[in-house]
Amino acid sequence: MKYTYVIKRILYSLFVFAVVITLNFFIPRIGVDDPAERYYPPQGNMSEIEYEIIKQVTRQQYGFHVSTGQQYMNYLKGLFQGDLGTSFRPGSPAVIDLILERLPWTLVLSVSTMLIGVTIGILFGVLAAVKRGRWQDTMLLNASTIMVALPAFFIALILSFYLGFELEIFPAYTDSTMVSGFTWTWEGIRRVAQNAALPVLSMVVGSIISYAQGTRNAVIAVTNEDFVLTARAKGLKQSTIRYKHILRNSMLPIVTSLGMSISGLIGGQVVIEQVFNWNGMGTLFLEANNSNDYPLMMGIMLLLSGFTIFAILVTDLVYVLLDPRVTVGDKR
Amino acid sequence: MEPILKLRNLKVVFPTNYGVIRAVESVDLDIGDRECVALVGESGCGKSVTSQSVMRLIESPPALTQVDAIEFNGRDIKDYTPKQMQELRGKEMSMIFQDAMTSLNPVMTVGNQIDEMYMRHQGDSKKEAREKTVKALELIGLPEPRTRANSFPHQLSGGMRQRVLLAMAFACMPKLIIADEPTTALDVTIQAQVLKTLRGMQRGCGTSLLLVTHDLSVVASIADTVYVMYSGKIVEKAPVKDLFNSPQHPYTVGLMAAVPRLTDKKKTFTQIPGTVPHPARKPSGCYFHPRCEYATDKCRKEMPPLMGQGGGREVRCYYPLTAGGNM
Ligand SMILES: Nc1ncnc2c1ncn2[C@@H]1O[C@H](COP(=O)(O)OP(=O)(O)OP(=O)(O)O)[C@@H](O)[C@H]1O
Ligand SMILES: [Mg+2]
Repeated sequence: MKYTYVIKRILYSLFVFAVVITLNFFIPRIGVDDPAERYYPPQGNMSEIEYEIIKQVTRQQYGFHVSTGQQYMNYLKGLFQGDLGTSFRPGSPAVIDLILERLPWTLVLSVSTMLIGVTIGILFGVLAAVKRGRWQDTMLLNASTIMVALPAFFIALILSFYLGFELEIFPAYTDSTMVSGFTWTWEGIRRVAQNAALPVLSMVVGSIISYAQGTRNAVIAVTNEDFVLTARAKGLKQSTIRYKHILRNSMLPIVTSLGMSISGLIGGQVVIEQVFNWNGMGTLFLEANNSNDYPLMMGIMLLLSGFTIFAILVTDLVYVLLDPRVTVGDKR
Repeated sequence: MEPILKLRNLKVVFPTNYGVIRAVESVDLDIGDRECVALVGESGCGKSVTSQSVMRLIESPPALTQVDAIEFNGRDIKDYTPKQMQELRGKEMSMIFQDAMTSLNPVMTVGNQIDEMYMRHQGDSKKEAREKTVKALELIGLPEPRTRANSFPHQLSGGMRQRVLLAMAFACMPKLIIADEPTTALDVTIQAQVLKTLRGMQRGCGTSLLLVTHDLSVVASIADTVYVMYSGKIVEKAPVKDLFNSPQHPYTVGLMAAVPRLTDKKKTFTQIPGTVPHPARKPSGCYFHPRCEYATDKCRKEMPPLMGQGGGREVRCYYPLTAGGNM
């Protein structure tokens, strides 16, 4: 029963991904007769003939000269070989190379933010739930109220100004040689850590608080459930009740929100990357957008949606491990 | 009968946003060795709070609990530390709740949940505990106990889940079991089976039973002594036969009239007029007076005390009814 469910979930994810791929293929072709026009919009100072020639070249270069069906097949074939198309940039670099060059740098920020946020957040959330109504809990409540009014980019600006420009504790601005001069040495890693400090710090505060709040609410909701009273009536030790009965059940909603944030690992920090001039995926996407680099944008979109589908799949599979009820379809 | 439980002057108060709720007011409760005591009354009258207070499961704060004595098996446990209470709960007194679906941990197998009892209170290893669990499940009438022990609560039927709760409560052969509406969530045929098992186990293990219910047919079939509760107070106490033969409190009479009887040719049943007072706005005098057809000025002004009537009977009424009618 469990295995059929798992296989069903995997097949379903593949199906959704196939739909996304198809959409991704058709979106640049919607509303225009010739995708070359989308890829290379007419410019004012260009004669008819000149534009025809340019379109001709564009079609050749991006494979629009064959039938749409054939193009779709070629697109799929390319995807299977890891080919996301070619960028408009000078030198026509492969989209996949551009992405792979930036992806690790984004992951440096997002993964460290998430790891710190999740661990400290869950610990603090459990503490607040255990000390419900006491100062630890009140502090969390106040912090979350304040956080609602403080978006991450605002924190980023403040941190960048005070810790960066004024006190010069951390670089206010990412050093452009960090990426180009990176080596796998302690020195290289130390430099990355130093540059990542402020961006991570500006995101991690909100992350910790939102995980803490979510955990606190989940733990308190479970604490009020009947089976916890049963566990107390059984004379179990406080610690057994807390860890074996309450926490395991509180993990269910937390896993869901974790899955949500996994999907944001790649594309969720466009603004922060901008503030700190961090050359990651967010910056790459903005660059693509500003230069109308269609293939690059589509490549990034495909990666983002594929990653989101993957995150949801992982979440569902973890749920199967945690909650025996999932397989019969009565997930709470 | 040697008493197993002597509860004296229990008061439980919940401070809430809409006023102070006096959920339980000066309740005394005696349960003899191997006796089955039923606690009956309408919803919200304080049955669950009373029964949970016996095991000191009501958390104070937020509640305010006051009690003169909780004498259990010869010791007063009212001042036991939380640690001492933990040792006692499950081992010497245990509890069966109404809804087995929500009362069992959904992400743990039922076997593991029973194993916990043996591991906690008898120092068993996981393996020893499981052997005992399988035996307990077999005794309680669960088919294929060894495989069923590996089921999760949602994989069992309602009746089987309730049996799991029974097996858990009886695991350590406690002196006292408190069953809070143990069969209310089940359909009638299963109810009867589970009750029979409960009664059988109680007799077989020599356990005393406090049965909380609002189902008088259940009371008639298994209780020895009955306490009737109204709005936080005990209004009548009597041996079960006497209570059914000649209820003395007008509220008890009303409760009984509200039960449809199959033998009754008219097939009608009457309701007690009016509703239970809001627990934060109880009336003056006798709490039942606004709904009582015999109420006098005295009833409206003064709360009657619980008065002994002989033969182990007590009633909180100035004008108790006799078999012949109102005096
Ligand atoms: N945690 C709580 N906070 C506030 N009020 C409470 C709390 N627990 C119980 N009460 C109140 O105490 C009163 C008695 O509740 P109790 O659960 O004992 O009723 P009951 O007789 O068991 O009813 P039922 O038949 O519905 O189970 C009710 O009015 C209820 O609202
Ligand atoms: Mg109740």
